[in-house]
Amino acid sequence: MTVATASQSTPTLTPRAGPRTAAPQSGFAPWNDPKKPPIVRFEGITKRFDDFVAVKNITLDIYEREFFALLGPSGCGKSTLLRMLGGFEKPTEGKIIVAGQDITDMPPYDRPVNMMFQSYALFPHMTVEGNIGFGLRQEGMPKDKIAERVDEAMGMLELRQFAKRKPNQLSGGQQQRVALARAIAKKPRIVLLDEPLGALDKKLRQQAQFELMRIQETTGTTFIIVTHDQEEAMTVASRIAVMDKGDLVQVATPGDIYENPKTRYISGFIGDVNLFEGKVSAVADGCVEIESTEGSKLKTRSAEPVSVGQQVWLALRPEKIRISHDQPSSTVNAIPGKVEDIGYLGSISHYHVRTAGGQRITALRANAAHAVERSISWEDSVWLDWPVDAGVVLTR
Amino acid sequence: MKTRFSWFNLTSITFGFAFLYIPILLLVIYSFNESKLVTVWGGFSTKWYGSLLQNQALMDAAWVTIRVAVVSATIATALGTLAAITLVRMGRFPGRTLFSGMIFAPLVMPDVIIGLSLLLMFVAIGFDRGFWTITLAHITFTMCYAAVVVQARLQDFDKSVEEAAMDLGATPVNTFFQITLPIIAPSVISAWLLAFTLSLDDLVLASFATGPGATTLPMKIYSQVRLGVTPEINAISTILIGIVTVGVLTAAYITKRQTDKAERERRRAFGATG
Amino acid sequence: MSSSSSPDIRRWYVIAAPYLWLLIFFLIPFFVVFKLSLSDVATAIPPYTPIFSWSTGIWEFFSQLDFENYTFIFGDPLYINAYFSSVKIAAVATFLTLLVAYPMAYGMARAPKAWQPTLMMLVILPFWTSFLIRIYAWIAILKPEGFATLFLTKLGIISEPLQIMNTTTAVYIGIVYSYLPFMLLPLYASLEKINPSLLEAAQDLGSRPWRSFWQVTFPLSLPGVFAGCLLVFIPAVGEFVIPDLLGGSDTLMIGKTLWTEFFNNRDWPLASAVAVLLLFVLIVPIVIFQRQQQLEREAGR
Repeated sequence: MTVATASQSTPTLTPRAGPRTAAPQSGFAPWNDPKKPPIVRFEGITKRFDDFVAVKNITLDIYEREFFALLGPSGCGKSTLLRMLGGFEKPTEGKIIVAGQDITDMPPYDRPVNMMFQSYALFPHMTVEGNIGFGLRQEGMPKDKIAERVDEAMGMLELRQFAKRKPNQLSGGQQQRVALARAIAKKPRIVLLDEPLGALDKKLRQQAQFELMRIQETTGTTFIIVTHDQEEAMTVASRIAVMDKGDLVQVATPGDIYENPKTRYISGFIGDVNLFEGKVSAVADGCVEIESTEGSKLKTRSAEPVSVGQQVWLALRPEKIRISHDQPSSTVNAIPGKVEDIGYLGSISHYHVRTAGGQRITALRANAAHAVERSISWEDSVWLDWPVDAGVVLTR
Repeated sequence: MKTRFSWFNLTSITFGFAFLYIPILLLVIYSFNESKLVTVWGGFSTKWYGSLLQNQALMDAAWVTIRVAVVSATIATALGTLAAITLVRMGRFPGRTLFSGMIFAPLVMPDVIIGLSLLLMFVAIGFDRGFWTITLAHITFTMCYAAVVVQARLQDFDKSVEEAAMDLGATPVNTFFQITLPIIAPSVISAWLLAFTLSLDDLVLASFATGPGATTLPMKIYSQVRLGVTPEINAISTILIGIVTVGVLTAAYITKRQTDKAERERRRAFGATG
Repeated sequence: MSSSSSPDIRRWYVIAAPYLWLLIFFLIPFFVVFKLSLSDVATAIPPYTPIFSWSTGIWEFFSQLDFENYTFIFGDPLYINAYFSSVKIAAVATFLTLLVAYPMAYGMARAPKAWQPTLMMLVILPFWTSFLIRIYAWIAILKPEGFATLFLTKLGIISEPLQIMNTTTAVYIGIVYSYLPFMLLPLYASLEKINPSLLEAAQDLGSRPWRSFWQVTFPLSLPGVFAGCLLVFIPAVGEFVIPDLLGGSDTLMIGKTLWTEFFNNRDWPLASAVAVLLLFVLIVPIVIFQRQQQLEREAGR
């Protein structure tokens, strides 16, 4: 029995099409410009805690105005990487360069970065105003200038009415906004966000994500966010770095990560996926034929160079699979099966189909208002098919 | 994240503990001094311990002290536990403010005031002074400490455990003995130990509350200390310090073993996660 | 448990025992003291005029009361000075205790988590050993031919024996030493509660460590400072053993005055009046302390 679908419950996880809101210029892709200097460079960063290696030799560039996400399960080292940039942990090996300056040994209070903490870390003995103005007071800025900047930040996050309140008199969402306002009040070059929305409920979290994007866009600051929520990373980020056990697994745009995951781990971590395990049986002009252990022949395009006989996995997103009662005209990538389960999610439905070979495959279909097709129900015999460019061949 | 000792922290802790412990260590060391002069080392000897055993008055005083401490600590712990339950679980009731005032005031009230007032009352009602008046005085002030110790534990524990027991049909009394008491037991034991040592230690209350024939060890020591430093007092002090240290360390070891065991079981249940 | 008794009645079974005990053995005695402070001294056993007897009647009883003892106390600068000097010595000693305890509590709160229970243990341990013995230990150190003199002479710091014993300085040392755990524990508790990410946040926003301390750590530890100071100050004002054993004839403390009046002069009514006035001096801090404990208990829920 092969690995079937990764069990993420999120219904749709297609990245947003078109130009990214976080990057207003449609062609915002400084990472493709070899002449563009990065604003942050991690150079061979390793961090050990006694005998535990939290971060393993990571090299990574982040560019100005990016909304960069570090994504991974808890304990993967993403927070440690962020805390090293903030100055709260010292790398065991490697260098951190910000805007051309080596800041590896610089204490946190001298770094041009500000952090929004996971627990918010609001000073309980200071008002909202006091919290937001704290960083400015450290610089010895004149009082009236501080008041102005604090007011500006409060305005941006709709906090003016709470100016005189203490943190414990605020709701979770309000506290989160104060923490963000405090982090941007100094107008740092880089804002670090450590699981900034982890404490909010789902609805509030979605609102807050768009707020983060709006603030990032209007201030033009570089944001680096740490999150374990793939949906959040997909929503807000211009690029995502996926981490696992201290390693950097893939760095790419959300679309790229979704469409061209590099490993099974990533394909399963981001979005739902059907995985077919098999061996390469033929390779010809950009197309690969895979004989899956489940017993069917699958044909797919592959960017990855593979050789005949090699063990590979074909990753196929549920929404790329067509499901119908009728046998498709093409015999390529068409598999018969029986509907075992249907998950009705309103706008779309999940169909869990058991193939003759015993594999469970998930397909997605939009519930169009006009029911042209006969509706599919339990125990129906159905056909699944998909084009040759729908899947991704994975070797790891 | 792991933290290590910083230099500043290490220095301040070291100096602090040196300040706390050097006087006691000197006292213990010189209890084994051959010489009668307390600050001149004359060689190792245990003769002062031997002469203690010959001192019948001191032995009698020690016996009175231990009896007072055991009786008063036991009653004080029972009353203190009830007081803690009253403070934490009983909500509002008439006279609550007065009650919590009477629990907390003795913690800071100078003992000369408590001692004097108790004595005057004993005299006023014509109570024969001696063993029992000392015991009553000790119960009164140590029960407040016991209440505070038990109260701290009662506050952290999840009340829903008690509610679950009652939901399953246990009466309040059964719930207390089967659920609450086992959970707060370690704090009840520490409350008893605290009450016991406070009683063992008290000079002022005992001096006021006592009558003819009942002399406690601190009273005996005090009257000798006033006359000057003698190796004999060092010896008896060392014995007292030894008893308390062994007792406290044993109690700490038992609690630590319990919490370690609980921690191991918790880890096993949840699986080690990084 | 009989099913006939309502939960409300049952509640009172629990409350009654400690409540009645404290009423009888803590509260009522104060009224006895107060009454006695208004009586006259008599050469008898007990050495004062009777508290109350039915044979004389109510009127007679009240007519015997007077403020003679109080007028005597206020008329004699010895007593007034003793009150002032007790408060002064206690206040200075409290401040010194804070100075010693704060860095220590800070160090403990920042120590590796695995060490903290052991450090706590080490702080509490001396507190469990006899108060009297700990004061006694200092006599051997502070007296002119004591350990401090020996040690400092060896180091060549002093050539004359130290004259600390039987001075107010010795009393300060004694109070700081014996009350240190009372200051340390609440300080440690409040410092340990401070979320380390607050300090990271302060540094992240540009505050240097020393400033972060004054801007974040210290204000947040104030409840502990406050509680610790009350726990030291209040009992120190009425301290008897420390001034008696370590202090000299110039060290005036009211606890010692009370003791002398009671045991040596056997003037019980006057001792009572001294106690009532001492309580009067301390009532405000005691009420503050009690309020604070109650607030903390309610917040802990």
